Amino acid sequence: MDKYIDLPALGQVLLASVVGGIGLVALFAIGLRGLSAAQDDGHNSGYLVAGSSFAVVLTGIALGLYALLAA
Amino acid sequence: MDGNTVLLVTVVATALAFDFTNGFHDTANAMAASIVTGALKPKVAVALSGILNFVGAFLSLSVAATIAKGIVDSSTITLTVVFAGLIGGITWNLLTWYLGLPSSSSHALIGGVVGAAFIAGGVEAVLVDGLIAKVLIPAVLAPLVAIAIAAAGTWLTFRITAGVSARVRDRGFKIGQIGSASLLSLAHGTNDAQKTMGIITLALIANGTQSESAATPFWVVLSCAVAMGLGTYLGGWRVIRTLGKGLVEIEPAQGFTANGSSTAVILASTHFGFPLSTTQVCTGAIIGSGVGKGAAEVRWPLVGRMAGAWLITLPAAALVGAVSFALADGIGGAAGVVAVALLASAFIASIYHRSRRSSVDATNVNEDWTDYGVGPSGPAPMPVLETVLEDVS
Repeated sequence: MDKYIDLPALGQVLLASVVGGIGLVALFAIGLRGLSAAQDDGHNSGYLVAGSSFAVVLTGIALGLYALLAA
Repeated sequence: MDGNTVLLVTVVATALAFDFTNGFHDTANAMAASIVTGALKPKVAVALSGILNFVGAFLSLSVAATIAKGIVDSSTITLTVVFAGLIGGITWNLLTWYLGLPSSSSHALIGGVVGAAFIAGGVEAVLVDGLIAKVLIPAVLAPLVAIAIAAAGTWLTFRITAGVSARVRDRGFKIGQIGSASLLSLAHGTNDAQKTMGIITLALIANGTQSESAATPFWVVLSCAVAMGLGTYLGGWRVIRTLGKGLVEIEPAQGFTANGSSTAVILASTHFGFPLSTTQVCTGAIIGSGVGKGAAEVRWPLVGRMAGAWLITLPAAALVGAVSFALADGIGGAAGVVAVALLASAFIASIYHRSRRSSVDATNVNEDWTDYGVGPSGPAPMPVLETVLEDVS
């Protein structure tokens, strides 16, 4: 099995994919939810949620790109 | 111009042609979802993708002549083998484009090279272990990983935004789509342009024009970037249609999630050195985003047909590669390569000509999907494999 699959590399790919592919995506969704709570329901705290979520997403993307390109 | 130079020039030109077909075949991967949901206008989408693919090509620093390393015995690799492999790859890319089926350009290329090497060097030339480890196993794992991650992401996204107003949801995810599709185009450029750069470098080394340890010349990087960017801009509308409307009728939330997962998987795999096909990852993600909403969202028969095409990619391209090599080698030298190149051009012209009959472009890519069709008021139905075989026989 080891001969055919680089298991450590696969594990790293899976981890990075879950964080980026699910984590950041979900964060963006949370941001949208905050935005909707603020704009449609008047809960101004929603803007804070939205702002911080989007900020984390952008940071995550920047970090990811840096990690890739600096290699 | 001596025979050797003609040979080299033909091989480099063929490699760039392959890069071009890779470009338009893969536009769909990044942009299909955005075009179909209206996040981006068709022409804008392909222009954006073209530019980002072009930029991405320059960002990949670790270029190496590795496309066939570990898969084919390197002593078998001559200019003619490389050429025949490229012909195999181009032919398969064009055929699957004509049928509107997303398919892996890398597998087509590898298949072509394997086929040619097999004829050139016999069974020993093909390193089966490498083939299994670097091509076959990733081919199974890549779509599965992509489907799983996209499905989970989509399910989560829908749960999280359940109470969100349609206005915010639509607008928000469409903007998100532009971002994620752009990233995906960048990732694709970084990943895929390398392959052709590697092939051209390989050809230069095999020809003795360059030593093995030298860095890839800038003109190689530039020409590959241009070929890929142009191909992307031309847009494989037929494939875009299948990926964006055929497999799953995509909503902005799904498009965003699918693109996001694909980007993450592709960037991660490039970084950690685990080879994956960008097409298979992107297609898997689209399917996953359908599953995440509900398995009934996916047109499974079309998935089946596509999976079938994926299964035969390697052998089919290998066959063409083998035949191309046999022909080119049989005639011998530069003349053989040029002769096969001319034959291939004739094939390309005929496929293009046929495709005009059921043309898909920026204006009708978003028409309602009917199995194999463009809708009652659209042009003639898209070809099905069965009817193509009928026509040919």
